[in-house]
Amino acid sequence: MAIVLAAFIILSLYDLQRFIRKKEQAKVFVIYASLMAASLTVSLLLAADKRPASPAQLIEWILKMIGVVK
Amino acid sequence: MEKARISSIQLFLLLTGFLYGSTVIINPALGAKNDAWLAIILGGVGGALLMGVYVSIALLNPSRTLVEILRDRSGKFVGNAVSILYIWYFVHLASLVFRNFGEFMVTVTFPETPMIIVIGIFAVILVYAVNSGVEVMGRLSELFMPVVPVVVLIISLSLITTRDFTAFLPVLENGMAPVLKAAFGFITFPFGETIAFLMLFPHLNQKGNLKKIAALSALFLVVLCLVIFMRDISVLGSGLMQQATFIPHLTSLLIPGLNVEPLVDINLLIGGGTKISVCIYAAVKALSQVSGIGDYRKLTTAITTFCVVLSIWVYENVLEMLSWAEKVWPYYSIPFQMVIPLILLFLSFKKRVKPSNVRNGS
Repeated sequence: MAIVLAAFIILSLYDLQRFIRKKEQAKVFVIYASLMAASLTVSLLLAADKRPASPAQLIEWILKMIGVVK
Repeated sequence: MEKARISSIQLFLLLTGFLYGSTVIINPALGAKNDAWLAIILGGVGGALLMGVYVSIALLNPSRTLVEILRDRSGKFVGNAVSILYIWYFVHLASLVFRNFGEFMVTVTFPETPMIIVIGIFAVILVYAVNSGVEVMGRLSELFMPVVPVVVLIISLSLITTRDFTAFLPVLENGMAPVLKAAFGFITFPFGETIAFLMLFPHLNQKGNLKKIAALSALFLVVLCLVIFMRDISVLGSGLMQQATFIPHLTSLLIPGLNVEPLVDINLLIGGGTKISVCIYAAVKALSQVSGIGDYRKLTTAITTFCVVLSIWVYENVLEMLSWAEKVWPYYSIPFQMVIPLILLFLSFKKRVKPSNVRNGS
């Protein structure tokens, strides 16, 4: 868990200091933060052995519901 | 638009690397068992036609990326919505190839290393390549891609004495249905995935060569896959081939007095690296165009981090990965690889025909 947090902090600090220095637009911060937050949430859940339903399972479930996949 | 330009040979090698990608690990044509050679040929023809659709879209919309074409042809709102779906598709594809690579490396080469470390280190290198731009990706493919057929030839020739050339007989033992199913799988993986190249085609310096490049790369992949299949089945036999998970790796272990196992890893590194870098480039470029951010490089780290996390999250184990790739992926890909591109081609034709009609009418 600590390793995951450390990796994300290092990555975010490295990029954010660049963004602040170059005075990037707000949307860059928003998109970057959303992607990193989603990645961090999933990583923490995986590290805690609480794997959420994956997109692959969701896609398979939808295709089964439509009747494309048996 | 980024001013980077790539030559015809660079695009050919990028396309070939992309197509070869993770076929070292997963080859849907092998679902046809002994008749996989037929599935490879039929799938190759279908795949070349599908690539022809993408090339036609690119030629009808010169100097435009997939996002720009979608916006032009279907309006800004619908165009952006479909572009977001494509961004997801490219991210998903990159994460699947990351996982293929990670599973192979962890099972075969680094059994004591956690998969996230293997994938993470690979991702760092690929972020650097993508951030360096499409020209560097092209030059890297020029440098590395020639190694792939040489490795395939080395392994194939080393096993020339231990072969049963009748192993692929009888032909069509189970009828045509499994062959057609496997051929369809081979069309969607890897040929249909080249839709990602609609984000790269505008960088080609000589657009006139696009059709030739696509056809040659499809032909090259079919020949490469046929050589690999004939080698594997004649060395391992049909039964063992159906049971093995990583077939080329198993074949490479059979060479007496010579350890060529790392060469298979190298091939996967090159093919997988090319495929992932193209997918990440396509996703990041599309995201930057949809959101109106000038430089795509700002989002490369975030997208790649998401791909790495998704690659770990997406499957629980290697068996789920192989089963999903065979059973779900071909159908999941249909809208992205066939339906939307065909609509786009139709709309592009319609738009091109319109002005001439107006002129004739007046």
